[in-house]
Amino acid sequence: MSPGAGPPGLSVGRWVLPITVLLAVWELAARLGVADSILLSSPSQSLLAVVALAATQTAAGHSVLMLHVLSSVGVLAVALLAASLVGIVVGAIMGLSNSVYRFLDPLFTVMMPIPGIAWAPIFMLWLGFGTPTIIATGALAAFFPLAYNTATGVRSIDPKLLMVARSMGASPSRVLLRICLPGAAPSILTGLSLGFARGWRTVIAVEMIAARLWGLGYMIMEAREYLRPSLIYGGIILVAVVYLLLERLVVRRIEKITTERWGMVSPMET
Amino acid sequence: MAARVPALARVVRFVLPLAVVTVIWQAVVSLGFVDSSLVPSPVQIARSAAALLYPRPLLFQYLAVSLWRVGAGFALGSLIGVSLGVLMGSSSSVRFALKPVLDLLIAVPTICWVPLLLVTVGMGGPTIIIAVFLGCVFPVTYTSMNGARAVPRDVVLAANAMGAGRAAVVLLVLVPGALPSIITGLRLAVGYSWRALVGAEMLAAAASGIGYMIYAARAFYDVNVMFVGLAIISVAGLAMDYMILGAAERRTVQRWGMVTKTW
Repeated sequence: MSPGAGPPGLSVGRWVLPITVLLAVWELAARLGVADSILLSSPSQSLLAVVALAATQTAAGHSVLMLHVLSSVGVLAVALLAASLVGIVVGAIMGLSNSVYRFLDPLFTVMMPIPGIAWAPIFMLWLGFGTPTIIATGALAAFFPLAYNTATGVRSIDPKLLMVARSMGASPSRVLLRICLPGAAPSILTGLSLGFARGWRTVIAVEMIAARLWGLGYMIMEAREYLRPSLIYGGIILVAVVYLLLERLVVRRIEKITTERWGMVSPMET
Repeated sequence: MAARVPALARVVRFVLPLAVVTVIWQAVVSLGFVDSSLVPSPVQIARSAAALLYPRPLLFQYLAVSLWRVGAGFALGSLIGVSLGVLMGSSSSVRFALKPVLDLLIAVPTICWVPLLLVTVGMGGPTIIIAVFLGCVFPVTYTSMNGARAVPRDVVLAANAMGAGRAAVVLLVLVPGALPSIITGLRLAVGYSWRALVGAEMLAAAASGIGYMIYAARAFYDVNVMFVGLAIISVAGLAMDYMILGAAERRTVQRWGMVTKTW
């Protein structure tokens, strides 16, 4: 998943035909028995598997599929919130102080190539099996791009602005809130968007090995255990669709109401 | 890269903060502020790494297996990704047919393919190589496509006017023109491949690989080995990025006078 991948606007019309053709070919291949139909599954069977799971209710009367989706999205939201709070503060400090930046930059360089899922066994040892581990790994994965991009954004602010504000007696917290954060907003949002992608990936991955009962990653892994490829296919498509929806409806919207209103243009999509 | 700084100074600038953190970390664990069975000290981790190297160089064996898997998956993924991407960039009908599919597939976290591959292909090397392939092929296709599309139309028309056929235009005009994007894409894809490898090895490796080593250490609560694994993943990931693709970039793009932007 490349950063900022995808078309600027989701033009539904251009999607319909190619995707329909793809699904038709896949369905046909499965029906004609080109490959083992159990392994290949088919779009109709995958859809049925997902619908059946959506119709299945827990004792409390909730849809099982809905609980899987909400669990993953909820975990991601908590992880992203934590990562944003810490990441933006650390990033702002890095951006304002050259020596802090120079000290932390090598640490970030070393930490960045480690994928979130590699931390999972360690966090499982620290926090046990279940949601806290998933949140912690997701937050850690999202933290680095958030902090790094915040720092880059703050460093790109014209130093004269900072000097003027300080000489006119603005307190450090005021400088931070009124100059640094708005000035760095486009970068911070790039970081948020990257952190969101990284966090989502990590949450799904760690759910596969550390979830107790809920989550889309857990659902896919469980389908594998019961040898139900149709549900695995359905789950894969669902993970992609939920990601695209969240990206379009939440991340892009946040970008719109902040940078565009403040008259800045996000450098993300060029 | 910033202004010219002597090589030695750059190394010191990079290593010094890491050394400081290591010393503080060691002190915190040695003085008993944290439980060393949960957070091992750097010395413990180094000892554990040494035990994995001698008498049997297990760590190298694991690393060799991992590098082979990531290399095979990446080679396959970049070959197909660049070809497909340039094709999509050069023909609007191919793009019309495949772009929506690409948009959807690029949104699938690579790890999601692993359970499917476990059912269809089974545990072991082939599943991991395919997972690495899937981890890098879509982003490479995407960046190559964008690169080929960004080649000015005038240049293509000029080549046509001078009698270049379709193949010549693709090979001699579009591919070189798209090269900055292609190399940027490949460079990112090295990271994606490495990430896919670690995840896939955790779920699908039968008995070897760095990801397997971390995951297997869970059974023995061996936190030292887990940290050794993280260190190897980080160092190998950085080394691949700087050595292989950094060099490729200097050789081609910079010599040809094009500038790329990667962080």
